[in-house]
Amino acid sequence: MKNRLSVLFIAVLALVSCHKTPQPHEIPPQDLYIGTVSVDYEGGVVDNPDIKVAFLPSEDGRRADIIIYKIKFVPKMPVRIDVTIPAVAVEKESEGVSFSCNNVVPLALGGEYPKYNVTSLSGTLKGSSLSFSLNFGEYPTRFKGTRAR
Amino acid sequence: MLTALIAMMLLAGSPADTLAPAIAVAGKTEMRVTGMVSGIKADELRQYGINNPKGVAAIVPGLHLPDYGASLTSSIYVRGLGSRMENPVIGLYIDDFPVLDKNSYDLDYLDVESIRFLHGPQGTAYGRNSLAGVLSIRTAAHKGLRAALEYGSRHHALAQVSGGYGNHSFSAAYRHSSGFFPNTHTGKMCDPYDGGQLRWRWEKAFDDLTLGNLLQAGVSSEGGFAYGAWKDGEVQPVNYNDEGSYRRITVLEGFKARLRKENIVLDLMTSAQILADDMRMDQDYSPQSVFTLQQRQLSGAQTFEALLRPARRFSHWKPVTGFFGFFKACGMDAPVLFKRDGIEKLILDNANGGIPDDIGYLEIPDASFPVDSRFSILSWNAALYHESVFPVGRWTFTAGLRIDYEGAWMGYDCFAALHYRMVPFMASPKPFEDTYTGDLFHGGLQILPKLAVQFAPSGKWLLSASVAKGYRAGGFNTQIFSDILQNRMMNGLMADLGVYFDRPTVSAVADNTEYQPEELWNFEAGFGYHGENFRADATAFYANAVNQQITVFPPGMTTGRMMTNAGRSRSYGVELQASYENAGFMGRASWGWNDARFTEFNDGQADYSGNSIPYSPSHTLFVSAGYSGNRFEVEAHVRGIGPIAWNEANTLEEPFYVTLGADARVRFGRFQVYLRGENLTGTRFRTFYFKSMGNEFFQVSKPAVFTLGVQVSIL
Repeated sequence: MKNRLSVLFIAVLALVSCHKTPQPHEIPPQDLYIGTVSVDYEGGVVDNPDIKVAFLPSEDGRRADIIIYKIKFVPKMPVRIDVTIPAVAVEKESEGVSFSCNNVVPLALGGEYPKYNVTSLSGTLKGSSLSFSLNFGEYPTRFKGTRAR
Repeated sequence: MLTALIAMMLLAGSPADTLAPAIAVAGKTEMRVTGMVSGIKADELRQYGINNPKGVAAIVPGLHLPDYGASLTSSIYVRGLGSRMENPVIGLYIDDFPVLDKNSYDLDYLDVESIRFLHGPQGTAYGRNSLAGVLSIRTAAHKGLRAALEYGSRHHALAQVSGGYGNHSFSAAYRHSSGFFPNTHTGKMCDPYDGGQLRWRWEKAFDDLTLGNLLQAGVSSEGGFAYGAWKDGEVQPVNYNDEGSYRRITVLEGFKARLRKENIVLDLMTSAQILADDMRMDQDYSPQSVFTLQQRQLSGAQTFEALLRPARRFSHWKPVTGFFGFFKACGMDAPVLFKRDGIEKLILDNANGGIPDDIGYLEIPDASFPVDSRFSILSWNAALYHESVFPVGRWTFTAGLRIDYEGAWMGYDCFAALHYRMVPFMASPKPFEDTYTGDLFHGGLQILPKLAVQFAPSGKWLLSASVAKGYRAGGFNTQIFSDILQNRMMNGLMADLGVYFDRPTVSAVADNTEYQPEELWNFEAGFGYHGENFRADATAFYANAVNQQITVFPPGMTTGRMMTNAGRSRSYGVELQASYENAGFMGRASWGWNDARFTEFNDGQADYSGNSIPYSPSHTLFVSAGYSGNRFEVEAHVRGIGPIAWNEANTLEEPFYVTLGADARVRFGRFQVYLRGENLTGTRFRTFYFKSMGNEFFQVSKPAVFTLGVQVSIL
């Protein structure tokens, strides 16, 4: 019984940790991108221009942390915050890399921030362009930007 | 006390108390002064009960030195000029030695022979910080031995002994007071005082050389800062929980020499000055544990001055050329301690006010945390000046010029550390610290010209007019560094958390804590009548100040104030003084009036151009009458000050108030017994106003004070 539970736990972890079949590929560079974060809010779209996003791959290049700096998800939010989406699975493609994850608790304000739980994250890094979409809690969110000079 | 009085009576004999001849080694006091001079003799100082510079207020028309805080609080206002903080607008000289540090201005007078106040800018001869005048104190050189004891209200006690032998004279004094203002929180008096002073003078004349030395040292330990909250139109009793105290050691060692040769007279004056003090202050003046300040400093300075004039007196040209310089080094430690209530009110309320409840809240679990600031300050000055006086018949023309350079360097080393936790995201508190180090330098040249003309239609009448420039030295706002660090801590801590407020987080930085010299042009005309029994002087002035040093609220600050060159102002007014002395009757009257207004002043929150300059009274009034017979002496005086605007907006004002004082003394043999009263009507007025954390505070006047004393000449 104990063994069965362990197997089940590992399977769930595998599902939620965005981990995909490892394939050898070259490590994408650590870089900072500037672009617009768009949030669907109350039937409209709120654009946050000039938002900086850091793409920080791990040493083996199979995962990356994505840090979104000074983001304000909705207009009534009185502060901007830095949000880190940790351990996003990265996969090499013919042109650049793709990355994705689902059901990850982001880090903000010094700890885990479950209110803005990340689901359905998928994106690509091609050349100097970074784009991804995800749900921050109940808010569908998109980013499209280019490498900062 | 009684035993001492009896012992002094037993020692008594015939009156032999004498003053030695005037100081043989004169120096700057011999320089010609154009314009009004107010003089107060030793007898008058005794009668008026003046034992420190604050007592001179109003006797010198236009001069106001409010009595509040502690001995380091030497705020001086003249002709609408002056400020609560930093450099004074008048110079203080003791026997021609400049007192460099304003924290040493408020010293008990110990055997003072006379006080002179030179009205208006004396920049050419006296340089820095003499843009509104110079207070020159001349100490007495006693022969024989005499002693005095007095006791009065609030356990005021003074014991003084002075005397001289040969070329030496000495004085020693000790003063005690239990204080005037109870602190309702501690149940103790908040302003007790204990202090002692010693002075030794030596003078010796050789053929063509005269030497003199002055050594003066003082030590004091006192309370202070009797500030009560202003609520519902009433000043509440003093009520705060943390320590308010001031301890000080001062030393002034001055040496002067006069060399008289066939063609020249050369005066050399040098002094070494030491100040060590320790101030502790409850900065919120409330029963809550918000924040405290301790400021300790040790400074040493050396001054040097040389005056050269021809020995031969030319009939149409009397030149004086001088050099002045000083070097001062100061080490200061000024830790601010934020206590639990302060962490809640000043930091967490401010930070959490911008964070929505559904996000979380910031917590600082420390019971207190320090914001420590250490400073090393060096300052120096070198000046060359010349004045030429040209007597032409009944006319006398004076032209003077001073080239004055002053520089200053400050190194700062500030540190703060605390723990914080963002709830509910962080499981445990995280340490956070910030250091802020660097150095600043400023220096500049001042050209201080003076032109004056006098006309003497007779031996008794004198008309004069002058134009002169003065300046007040620049400096560094050391007291703002704890606020800078507090702001840096908050901004750094929030950035460490990754939280950014939409509101601006601007704050002062070290680079804008310097302030430049304030410059004043003064135009003045007056007359004097100096008869045998009656003397009168009047002067009218117009002064224009640029780069005015003003206390402002820096951006982003929650508690701090800082001095900056924010404005311009102008002041005009009239000063009158008259005295009469004949057949034992004495009378004296002084009146000063000014209209001093900002012509340009925006403190970052509002524009106050056109408003009256705060803290400086529009009127000062002093009237005294007395009679001195063979065996007795009586004197009574009234002193009036006001109105005083308490803030730049001119929304709070102190009306003109008057106090009554009197002195009666009886002489028999070697004894003199006296009874003195100050503020006899118990007039209650306010002496100081300020705001802290949005709350308003005042200090009120001391109540009626009575003093009984005896003076005896022993040898």
